[in-house]
Amino acid sequence: MICVGIDAGSRAVKALALDAPGLETIGAMVTDQGVQQQETGDRIFARLLAAHGLAPGDVARTVATGYARNLVSAADTTVTEITCHACGVHHRLAEARTVVEIGGQDSKLLRLQADGSVRDFAMNDRCAAGTGRFLEMVADKLEVPLADLGALASRSAAPAAISSMCAVFAETEIIGLLASGTEPKDIIAGVFGAIAARATTLAGPRLEPPVAFTGGVAMVAGMDKALAEAIGHDVAVVPDPQFTGALGAALLAARQCHPAPEDRGPTGGM
Amino acid sequence: MTDAPEQITLAEWDGRYARLRSAGLAEPAYGGPLGRHLAGGDTRLDKLLYDNSAAALRLWNFLLSEADRLFAAGQAGKTIVAAMKDLGTVPVMACALPDVVAFYPDGAWWIPCIMEHGAGLLARADALGIDESFCPVRAMLGAFASGAHWPEPDVLICSVGAVCDDFSAIAQRLDGLGHPVFWWEMPARRRPDPGEPAVRLPTGFTAPQSQVDVVRGELQRVRGALETAADKPLDDAALARGVREANAIRRVLAELRRLVFTAARCPLGALEMMIAEMLAIHFCSDRDEAHRVLGDLLAEVRRRVDAGRGILPADAVRVFWVNPVADLRAMNLLERCGGRLCGTELLFSHALDEIPTDVGPAEALARTALGDPMVGPAADRAERVCRDIRRFAAEAVVVSRIPGASHCALEGKVMHDMIAEKVHLPVVQIEVPPLSDPIAAKLRTRLEALVEVARGQRR
Repeated sequence: MICVGIDAGSRAVKALALDAPGLETIGAMVTDQGVQQQETGDRIFARLLAAHGLAPGDVARTVATGYARNLVSAADTTVTEITCHACGVHHRLAEARTVVEIGGQDSKLLRLQADGSVRDFAMNDRCAAGTGRFLEMVADKLEVPLADLGALASRSAAPAAISSMCAVFAETEIIGLLASGTEPKDIIAGVFGAIAARATTLAGPRLEPPVAFTGGVAMVAGMDKALAEAIGHDVAVVPDPQFTGALGAALLAARQCHPAPEDRGPTGGM
Repeated sequence: MTDAPEQITLAEWDGRYARLRSAGLAEPAYGGPLGRHLAGGDTRLDKLLYDNSAAALRLWNFLLSEADRLFAAGQAGKTIVAAMKDLGTVPVMACALPDVVAFYPDGAWWIPCIMEHGAGLLARADALGIDESFCPVRAMLGAFASGAHWPEPDVLICSVGAVCDDFSAIAQRLDGLGHPVFWWEMPARRRPDPGEPAVRLPTGFTAPQSQVDVVRGELQRVRGALETAADKPLDDAALARGVREANAIRRVLAELRRLVFTAARCPLGALEMMIAEMLAIHFCSDRDEAHRVLGDLLAEVRRRVDAGRGILPADAVRVFWVNPVADLRAMNLLERCGGRLCGTELLFSHALDEIPTDVGPAEALARTALGDPMVGPAADRAERVCRDIRRFAAEAVVVSRIPGASHCALEGKVMHDMIAEKVHLPVVQIEVPPLSDPIAAKLRTRLEALVEVARGQRR
């Protein structure tokens, strides 16, 4: 039985197919989010199936999540990314009690129960403060590929102080820092610290370890270290962090098809 | 009517209105089809969902005809009192006088939503130096400048001190623009020192008697201002009558809240409940009619509860809502995400409590006014919220922020953390601007996630 999860995020759309009985991942795929958001979700669904020799009829159930989840017509139902990330993280790192997820335009903090269900959650404000979009702006302004940010930041001995977490104001600050001769590596290290600090404000005074870090920004080398320093706990990056939401959606699809007696976790609203 | 309770669109209301009329619906003078307000520029109405009862129709028509009522009162030579910021005290006093009509210019904060910026009030406020770093209540300034939403009041009475900083600044700007304001001061409520004479306020908080004395003195000055404006004395007997009339309305609202928030199936939508609660503070410029409108609504709700009928699925998640929303559509959104309203704290819970009648009316009003949740520590307010969350058995909590509102920035985190710690329920913070359409997907995610988490915790 094949189940599919589609995470239609604000910056990227991720799809993952799961062989439900064994909960083994058959394949996963990512593409940039587009203007025609409905087409993007449905196209990646078709491409994922084609890449693995599957037809739509082979898929028992599809769950869509993410910002544009309601636009994925291939989906049987939708579940929010809060529940999907919790489910995906619990599958990968069952011991995690706190999840920090930083995506393209959102950052979230989830507190999990022992069974992986969500106890409570917090999300960032409506601006792009402390999200992947913020990092993209920095990479663009410094003319550094996104993938190289971590390596550069690791060479910094004097991270710059970034006062504003507003992506627009911070851009002005970065221009000022460059004009004053601050090296890009120090600016990037400062930005990493600022993003991590922002995530800690979501956590509040109490943060229960172990802490899992997921979402697209978790792929940026060095962000886990910055986050660990900011929150004062070790941070475990979830394997394939960009696909955690899609994985959770696929797992929920499987759970919705055949809720196992011993599986008392959430089903995402069923 | 025998039709099943449900939520319908404005267009659907047109057809329903025709059917109600043919079935003999009797309406007050301000009645009529809801769609006429759309033609008058209230374009947001086309995007809302409404309760389909005749009682709800009357509620909406009453709300949306307030400007007509105010202009008519002005033309009839009645004294127009603009009460500002105190939320629930000055109108009780003003309405105790004959031929006096009180209203809250504060209510203009919904005009940018209802008219989808069509009236240009926020742009006018911008031009007058009060920009988006302030709460959307700055629309009031634009409304005064336009002169289109109410007649020039005979007196403007505004509380300052431990009340909303934004409002005080906006009202001062208004005063500087040639609308003289009568100011009265509200002290920051504190807990009594050991051994200090104290009084328990109707809201449940305890305050030093000396602070109540200060407020009573300030309200005595307000009484003088009202007497001057109306050119009539306002004696204790009249004030006591005003208190009794206000309490009658508060009792109807208390019963409405109890029924709606505790019924097995939700008998009335969040939007209508929010508007009904607002009537407790402003009476929509006609106290006696406000009483009748709420009485109608209560009767409808009672019928539905007795019949076990509701407008939402029986398994809707019970959500407690903190702070009013600038965009009315957010209340519909809660229900579309699987929630139902089961408790509110919309910044004026002191106006929902009955005013004491075992003391003189001036003392009673002072105690009630000092119980304003906004003039004390955020922790006090959170305590009251937690008490009501337990009372109404809510399963989740929304702390809604108002963009630009300084009290939200100060209180939001405190409220969130205290509620989460004391009642162990999922709590989400959202921010709702006057038009939330561009961030509707984000709001929806937060509310849906809250509902999912609460459902997960039922297991």
